[in-house]
Amino acid sequence: MGTPAWLYYLFGLLMLAVSGYSVTLLVFSVTGRHHFGRDVDIAHICMGVSMAGMFVARWAFGPSAAWEFIFAALLIWFVVRSLKSIQRFGLHKPHEAIHAAMSFAMLLMYLYPVGATSRVSGTMSMAMARGGAKLDPGLGFILAVTFFASAVFTLASPVKGVSHHGSHAFAYATTVAVGATGSADAWSGSPQHDSPHVGGLEGVVTTPWLEDASHVVMCFAMGFMLILML
Amino acid sequence: MTIGEAAERRFPTVADRGMATPRTGPTRDLQRTLQLILATIWLLDAVLQIQPFMFTPGSSGFSGMLKGLAPGNPSWVAHTITWNGSVIYHQPVLTNTLFALVQFVIGFGIVWNKSLKPALALSIVWALGVWWFGEGSGGVFHGAATPFGGGPGGVLFYAILAVLLWPSDGSIRPFVAARTVGLTAARAIWVGIWSLLALLSVIGSGRSPRALHDLVAGMDHGQPGWLAHIDRVSESFFLHHGTPAAVLLAIVCVIVAAGVFLPPQGAQVTLVLAIAVFAVIWVAVQNFGGILAGGATDPNSGPLVIVLALMYWPLTTSEAGPVGPGSNGNRIVKEV
Repeated sequence: MGTPAWLYYLFGLLMLAVSGYSVTLLVFSVTGRHHFGRDVDIAHICMGVSMAGMFVARWAFGPSAAWEFIFAALLIWFVVRSLKSIQRFGLHKPHEAIHAAMSFAMLLMYLYPVGATSRVSGTMSMAMARGGAKLDPGLGFILAVTFFASAVFTLASPVKGVSHHGSHAFAYATTVAVGATGSADAWSGSPQHDSPHVGGLEGVVTTPWLEDASHVVMCFAMGFMLILML
Repeated sequence: MTIGEAAERRFPTVADRGMATPRTGPTRDLQRTLQLILATIWLLDAVLQIQPFMFTPGSSGFSGMLKGLAPGNPSWVAHTITWNGSVIYHQPVLTNTLFALVQFVIGFGIVWNKSLKPALALSIVWALGVWWFGEGSGGVFHGAATPFGGGPGGVLFYAILAVLLWPSDGSIRPFVAARTVGLTAARAIWVGIWSLLALLSVIGSGRSPRALHDLVAGMDHGQPGWLAHIDRVSESFFLHHGTPAAVLLAIVCVIVAAGVFLPPQGAQVTLVLAIAVFAVIWVAVQNFGGILAGGATDPNSGPLVIVLALMYWPLTTSEAGPVGPGSNGNRIVKEV
């Protein structure tokens, strides 16, 4: 007997929910011509769908090589964006770094799935397992702790939506500006993007705390998966 | 004022580039940052609690691990541990799910300001319960509570951190731990902790080369190659220099205990010493609490002692006077 199957189904469903939510965000982003956070939406869609397949084997699809290619491409994208951010704004922790780390973790999960398959049975099988080397537990542990810390500090941040749009986005700038002249907390719960006048369904879906919540769920699922791979 | 005007006032380049310079929002105060680090550790514990082996009954599971802690303790202590192990043995999924939920509640509770105090209170109760029922009282009752192995019990440090990180609007000078309990009490707690660690280093099996060797040897199964290599070095070192190492650790603990009374620069030196020593112990002796071998429930005492040390790091503020109510404690803090 190991981890009960319902736990894996729960994580699988959460991953699908994050994916579905990110698809919605992406649709609103395209139709509303908002430009910030599209790359994060795409990354969350891919991560959510692929991780759902890791938690529940029956939900897995697509060849491993295709997923490896996707996450390698996302990793390169976010690393380049991080470097460009540093080049533009000087030495700081770029917002894209955590998404690069998440893409890197996903890539590792496909490259070194043996850890999970050797210790986990039943519902969760890592369908794409093909044997080979095991992920170094030290690296997996560091990444897992990084994701848990990202989740905690994202939830505690008085400025919502940064996990999605970054600290350089116009929305973030306006939030900080309002915080400097009024109350950041008061503003942080309301919808805001590069276009602050968003209402209706889009306003609800693009609520910054909801965007942060999707990041937090993704961080936890990924951290859990890495712990399982130790 | 519109949002755009506010942004332009703070970031003149925003309107031109659609981007802001990388300035951060309100400065998070150091006590809050340490609370969030504690929350991260609690959530790590919660996730470790839902590893497959935790739900497995029998000697290879969580209940078997707990029962293994009972031998050596006085019978009245051992009985409570085996009783707990039996409950988990019969209901592994229910009990383990409950344990994980409690830790998730504590971790997330610390994150939100409104639930911070109840979460810290729960963490104190939970930590004391786990120390007794789940850690065999840290080996204190049978003389095996050496700080090398996490004595007097890694989980006790969660309770200490919760007390010292209890939210308060007071000044964080001269260090974070003094904000809640006051300078005198904070110093007394510090001296008490490090004196206990010094004592535990040299009593019982704590100074036995064989016991220290076995402590590491018992951890190295299933560790990655690089850590197993470090373990072999540690085992050999303890076998040949176990007693001097224990005495040296006791001396270090006494120096660190006294450091809280030194001027800021001197205190910083002793804190760096404490952090460095426990970082080495965490890696080379505690093996990250055994997490990398896939059979741990917590990261052991190493990171918690380091967080504790950071709470005593001497600080000064760029603003005069204490933080007032409603300020959220947000203030720029710089080192001395």
